[in-house]
Amino acid sequence: MYSYIVRRLAFGALTVAGVSVIVFTVLRILPGDPLVAIFGAEGFTKLSEAERAHYMAELGLSDPLIMQYLHWIEDIARGNFGRSFFRAESVAEMISRRGPLTAEIGIMAVILSWIVGIPVAIISALRPNSLGDHISRFISIIFLAIPGFWSGMLLVLAALFWFGYRAPLGGASLLADPWTNLQIVIGPAVVLGLGQGAYIARMARSSLLEVIREDYVRTARAKGLSRRPVLIVHALPNALLPVITLSGILLGFVLAGSIPVERAFGTPGLGYAMFTAVSERDIFVMQNLVFLYAVVFVMLNILVDLTIAWLDPRIRYQ
Amino acid sequence: MTAADQGGTYPPSQVLSTLRYSRARRLARGLRLFIRRSPLSAFWGCVAAAIFLAAVSAPLLAPYEPLKSDFRAMSKPPDERHYFGTDQIGRDVLSRVLYGSRASLTVAVGAVLFGTTLGALWGLASGYFGGRIDIVSQRIIEFLQSFPDLILAMAIAMALGAGIGTVIVAIAITRIPFGGRVIRAVVLSLKEISYVEAARGLGASHLRIMLRHILPQCMAPYLILATTHLGVAIIIEAALGFLGVGIPPPTPTWGNMLADSLNAGLVPPWWLVLFPGLAITITVLAFNLLGDGIRDILDPRLRGAV
Repeated sequence: MYSYIVRRLAFGALTVAGVSVIVFTVLRILPGDPLVAIFGAEGFTKLSEAERAHYMAELGLSDPLIMQYLHWIEDIARGNFGRSFFRAESVAEMISRRGPLTAEIGIMAVILSWIVGIPVAIISALRPNSLGDHISRFISIIFLAIPGFWSGMLLVLAALFWFGYRAPLGGASLLADPWTNLQIVIGPAVVLGLGQGAYIARMARSSLLEVIREDYVRTARAKGLSRRPVLIVHALPNALLPVITLSGILLGFVLAGSIPVERAFGTPGLGYAMFTAVSERDIFVMQNLVFLYAVVFVMLNILVDLTIAWLDPRIRYQ
Repeated sequence: MTAADQGGTYPPSQVLSTLRYSRARRLARGLRLFIRRSPLSAFWGCVAAAIFLAAVSAPLLAPYEPLKSDFRAMSKPPDERHYFGTDQIGRDVLSRVLYGSRASLTVAVGAVLFGTTLGALWGLASGYFGGRIDIVSQRIIEFLQSFPDLILAMAIAMALGAGIGTVIVAIAITRIPFGGRVIRAVVLSLKEISYVEAARGLGASHLRIMLRHILPQCMAPYLILATTHLGVAIIIEAALGFLGVGIPPPTPTWGNMLADSLNAGLVPPWWLVLFPGLAITITVLAFNLLGDGIRDILDPRLRGAV
C-alpha cells in the first residue's frame, strides 16, 4: 500500500508540474501582448511607448519567459498569489474568503448526487428494461442536457415569482451564520447536485448490471437469497467502486460548473470571482485561480485513487 | 463469361457504378435498421437534423432582424406579434434564438471536427507506434485532462481574445484528450489482430496500415464520441457566452442571450431566460440521444465506455 501511495503522489507531483506549464503557456505566452489583454485593444493604443515599458517592467513582463515562469512558481511556493490588477484585495485573501463557500457547494452537490443517483440506479437495475427503468433513464438523460446555470436562473425566477423569495446576497460563513449560509449555498448545490446525480445514476446502473453477472452474485442467489438483498448487500459495494472514481472527476466538474452557476445565483463564491476575473481580463488573477482549480482537481483525483486502492485490494497489489 | 473471368478488367465506369449502388443500398439498409432498432433515437436524429436545417435557413424562418431594435416593443411578453417576446431593447427573441443556433452549431461542429478528430488521429499514432511516443503522449493528455473542461476553455478563450475562431479553438483543445484516449484503446487491441500482422508481413508501410487497416475500425467509436461531443461543446459554448468570453455581442448566441437577460433589470423577464435555455437543452438532448442510438447499433460493447 505504501509503495502505491508513494507512486501515486510522485505521479501527482509530475502532473502538477505539467499543469503549471500549461497554465503559464496559455495565459502568459498565448496572448500576443498581455497589456492588450489588460487594457483592451483600444486602451492599449492610447498608452505611450514609455508607459508600456513602465507597465511591462512593473509587472515583470520584460524578463525572459523562463525567468517569469520561475518567479511565478517561487511566488506560489511562498504562498504569494499576487493581487488583482483592478482591486486592492490580494488573491490569497480572496481565496480564503470565497473558497469555503464554493467548497461547501461542491461537497453538498456530490452528497446530493449520491442521495439521488444511487436509489434511482437500484430501481433501474432491479428490473432492467421495465417501465420504471425507462422512465428513470429518460429523466437522467434530460438532466444531462440541461445546463446548470440555466436551471439555476429558472430556480431563482420561480422562487421570486411564486414565493417572493430571494436568497441573501452578502457572504456569510458556515459557523457565524449557518442559516444565511445555507440559503446562499443550497440553490447552486441543488442545481449542480441534480446534474451530477444523472451521471451517477447512469454509471451506477451499468456498473450494477455488470456486477450482477458475476459468479458470486449467482451463488448468493442460488443459496436462496432473494433479488433485492443480493443486489444491495452483495452487488452494490463492488458496483460502487467505479461510481466513487466518477465522483472524484465530477467534483472537479462541479467546481468548474459552479462558475456559471454562481453567476446565475449571484453567489459570492470563488466561482463568481473567476467570472469577475475573466470578464475584467485580469490575467494574473486568472493564472493563479486556474492553477488552483487544476491543482485541487489533481489532488481530488489522487484522493479518490487512494480511496479506491484502500477499498479494493486488487488495485493495491498491481 | 464476364470480362474479369477472361483475364480482362471491368471498365472503370461500371465498377464505380456497382460500388456506388451497393454503398447507397448499404446506407439505406443501415438507416432502416437504425429506425427499427431504436425508433426513439431515430426521432431525435430527425430533431437534430431539423435544428441544423433551422440554423441554415434562419434568414428565411426568422420573422424579424435579430439585431434590429424596435423601441415601440421593448421587454414585451410573448404575444401574437412576437411569439417569444422581445428583449429590453426591443429585439425579437424568436429571431435571436433561431440565429443563435447558427453560432452554437458552427462552434460545436468546428470544435468536434478539430478537437475530437485531432485527438483521434493522435490516439491512432500514439497507440500504433507505442513506446516513447506513446508514453509522452499519454502524459500530455493527462496534463490536459487535469483541467475541468470549462476552466481550460475559459482560460484559452480569454487569452486569445473574443471571437468565433477562438471559441472553436478553446473548446477543441478540451476535446483532444477524450478522442486520444478512446481511439488509442481501440488501436491497442486492433494492433495485435492477425490481419494487421499480415499487412505488415506483406511489407505495407506504417502509414498504409494505419489509414487502410486500422482507421476504418476506429470509425464506430469515433462517430459515437463525435456525436456526444457535439452536445458537450454546445453546453461549453453557452457557458462561455454566459460568462462573457464567448462570441462577443451583439451576435446572438444562446449563452449571450442568457447573459443579456441578467442585465435586463433586477429581475430578468421569464421569456428572456426560458427560450434560449430551452433551445440549448433540446439541442443537447437530441445529440445525446442520437449518440446513444448510434452506439447501441454500431457497438453495444461501448455502452458506458464513451
